[in-house]
Amino acid sequence: MALALVNSFAPPVRHDHDGRSDTPIIDARNVAVNFKVEDGMVEAVKDVSFQLYRGETIAIVGESGSGKSVTARTVMGLLSKRAVVSEASTVAYDGSNILKFSERARRKLRGDRISMIFQEPMSSLNPIYTIGSQIVEAIRVHRRISKRDAQKRALELLEHVQIPDPAARLMQYPHQLSGGQRQRVMIAMALANDPDVLIADEPTTALDVTVQAQILNLIRNLQKELGMAVILITHDLTVVRQFSDYVYVMQLGEVREHNTTEALFANPQDAYTKHLLASEPRGQANPLPEGSDVILDAKGVRVSFMMRHGTFLKPAMRELVAVDSLDLTLRRHETLGLVGESGSGKTTFGQAILRLNTPESGEIHFDHQPIHGLSRAEMRPLRARMQVVFQDPFSSLNPRMTIGQIIEEGLVVNRLGATKAERQDRVREALIAAGMPGNILSRFPHEFSGGQRQRIAIARAIALEPEFILLDEPTSALDLSVQAQIIELLRKLQDERGLSYLFISHDLKVVRALCHRVIVMQHGKIVEEGPVNEVLSHPKTAYTERLVKAAFEVA
Amino acid sequence: MLAFDSAPPPPTTELSINKPSRGHESYIALVWRRLRRSWTGMAGLVLVVLLIVMAIFADFFAPMDPKATDVGFAPPQMISFHDKDGGFVFQPRVYALSDSEELDPVTFQPIVGVDYDNPRLLGFFVKGAEYRLFGLIPANRHFFGSTDGQPVHFLGTDKFGRDVLSRAIIGSRISLTIALTVVFIVTIIGTTVGMVSGYFGGTFDIWLQRFVELVLAFPQLPLYLALTSLIPVTAPTNVFLAFVIAVMSALGWAQMSREVRGKTLALARIDYVRAAMAVGATDMRIIMQHIFPNVMSHVIVAVTLAIPSVVLLESFLGFLGFAVKPPLISWGLMLQDTATYSVIGSYPWILSPVGFVLVTVFAFNALGDGLRDAVDPY
Repeated sequence: MALALVNSFAPPVRHDHDGRSDTPIIDARNVAVNFKVEDGMVEAVKDVSFQLYRGETIAIVGESGSGKSVTARTVMGLLSKRAVVSEASTVAYDGSNILKFSERARRKLRGDRISMIFQEPMSSLNPIYTIGSQIVEAIRVHRRISKRDAQKRALELLEHVQIPDPAARLMQYPHQLSGGQRQRVMIAMALANDPDVLIADEPTTALDVTVQAQILNLIRNLQKELGMAVILITHDLTVVRQFSDYVYVMQLGEVREHNTTEALFANPQDAYTKHLLASEPRGQANPLPEGSDVILDAKGVRVSFMMRHGTFLKPAMRELVAVDSLDLTLRRHETLGLVGESGSGKTTFGQAILRLNTPESGEIHFDHQPIHGLSRAEMRPLRARMQVVFQDPFSSLNPRMTIGQIIEEGLVVNRLGATKAERQDRVREALIAAGMPGNILSRFPHEFSGGQRQRIAIARAIALEPEFILLDEPTSALDLSVQAQIIELLRKLQDERGLSYLFISHDLKVVRALCHRVIVMQHGKIVEEGPVNEVLSHPKTAYTERLVKAAFEVA
Repeated sequence: MLAFDSAPPPPTTELSINKPSRGHESYIALVWRRLRRSWTGMAGLVLVVLLIVMAIFADFFAPMDPKATDVGFAPPQMISFHDKDGGFVFQPRVYALSDSEELDPVTFQPIVGVDYDNPRLLGFFVKGAEYRLFGLIPANRHFFGSTDGQPVHFLGTDKFGRDVLSRAIIGSRISLTIALTVVFIVTIIGTTVGMVSGYFGGTFDIWLQRFVELVLAFPQLPLYLALTSLIPVTAPTNVFLAFVIAVMSALGWAQMSREVRGKTLALARIDYVRAAMAVGATDMRIIMQHIFPNVMSHVIVAVTLAIPSVVLLESFLGFLGFAVKPPLISWGLMLQDTATYSVIGSYPWILSPVGFVLVTVFAFNALGDGLRDAVDPY
């Protein structure tokens, strides 16, 4: 039975096995992990085998739910209590099966010989201890050395991970560090005992693109220097291509294909791998029709927040300018990209233009009609003509409402459609246009996957037949292959309905595939603006250049 | 003309909508399925249902007239399956105590002994004291009691010789009515204030919350005592009861509004609320359609956990003599008799309303805990 299912592109032993004389430091065979759930078991990982040799980086790549993190956690011994590792599974570290080790023996291994860094550096560090004491603890758990020596070692480690001013950092708390610096601290802790194996589980997903490159380069340099083996778990193919020697592609708990990075990218064999590689956003927006009219015109839009600081007796307010007097013009049929790192003010700008927040000054004209200074009630007649799709399809649909109610709401409040039946027809039409079946009106959001939910959110927007849609990172919470489908859908809807999009994103690859023009923002200001090809191929500012480099090269 | 061509195949989409066997369940069904998994929650639910049934049909379940008097401080009578010779009999019976003709040679008090000659036979659905079911239908059947209408006291009698068990069963009515009414009022006021305050935010929220804090900061006990002593002693009992409920509600809504406000604050900034604003929904619609159904689960849990605290408060105030006044019966009022040490020492059975309070508090708490895990199935 099991033999019949073996995928010829994913044999248990590596394709480059014969050319090697050394033995793998980690040799995992037939790893299967089940999770006990309410009624029965869920197979998270089914029969996964992989090998890792000293001094190399292997990548485990896959979409959400592929079991890549569970595989890594099995090696680490960090599975939850509900997980059941099958009897046939073996994970050999240096020749001995660590799955059979006692919990005590595994603890000795963990953080000493095998270390791990996680996706979210914010929650991996304890906020109430200093950076120094946390690194010292990581060292002293495994080694009997004095506090003073451990502190010396901690300083050495921070220098190693290239944190500016390491001596001062030792005394600081996690909140005083940026996301990238925190991830560096995590790496320093992982390296504290010169591990043989470092498992990096999506180490840069929570970080800005430009920081991502720095962190990955740091890991690579440290690996060369210390001769570690690295397991890199990621969904990002660009990262895989750039940083790994050997790739395992996982889907639904199985390895679909593995090969050396070069061979895999040059010549993918398995259907899923091919599909995944083809899912990288590609193509570009169709050219604008001649002389299309301006639909949205914003001038000098400024949004700021008052932050209270100082003490109770000496109150002081500081103004935080999120959007600093920006202009923007959008034509019909056009997609304008709004790009920047987190905190650049792009979402605030987008919402200000839709009047979902109140700009302090500036003029906004929608279809030559001033909308600045209108109250919420005055805006209401215009709402049907301008819509928004949010980033997270899990929080943008009310869990207590059916799909029908969610999409119909806009029709009801805008008094569109004379009867219930007519409205339902329009809801069905919108769903079908968004690539969903029309018979799901009485179902609830939790019954759908992320990509399906995003389609429902798009259906909600287009049901009102708007002229302009604000797309606030609509693809960044989605898996790569789903992302490609959504981009395709958005492009199709634009062509069919003549929509104008304001597309907010940090992902320049998606921007290139979808936008006509692009605005690059940093710290609430526009740093660069122009046609998408021009900006991406000949960036004028160093900031844009960094963004472009991070998106297309990660180096 | 009849068309015989087959219907066109349903339009297919590129996505397969996999339909898990029970993905498509109503919210109630999901909550029920999850509640059933928690045995404490189910035990709580069963007890709550039993308590409510007992309170509604209190006259039927009480074996005696709660106002009828007998021997004061009579101890609980044991159910016996033996006749006076010690032989086993099928019909359960109790033997009452009675004064024998002999006198104690030292104290010259009549010697009290078990009267084996006059067993009081017990049965279900017996005829007993007259009462009016729901205050309307005259009836005299009782769930259980003595077959011939003679007094039996399974939990003994109080100082006036009234049956403690019957009084406790009837007392559940007032105690639960107070608890449910207070919590009902508290929930309506607290949820409304909390949602409005949390949704609109800003200066309005700041001032409203200062007021809520003022209510929360009130020293409650002196206030209860002061307010309840405002009512003239001669006021009719239902006025008094209404006043007690009003006072408890006036001081209780603040906590509920705090909890709802916290939840609303988080919900008001969530994407689906913003999406509703973007389609042009009014504030009223957003509160009713988007905020309310999502805070409802928390409110249900808060309600089940608030009921026992009101039951406790009532018994506490009743003990101090400030909640319910005779001739009404409540658990708190019954416990007032236990105020002296010598009474508890000699006649411990008059503490038995404590058992009813304990069971009620446990039942609602267990149900609340079970619901807490069940209400957020997504």
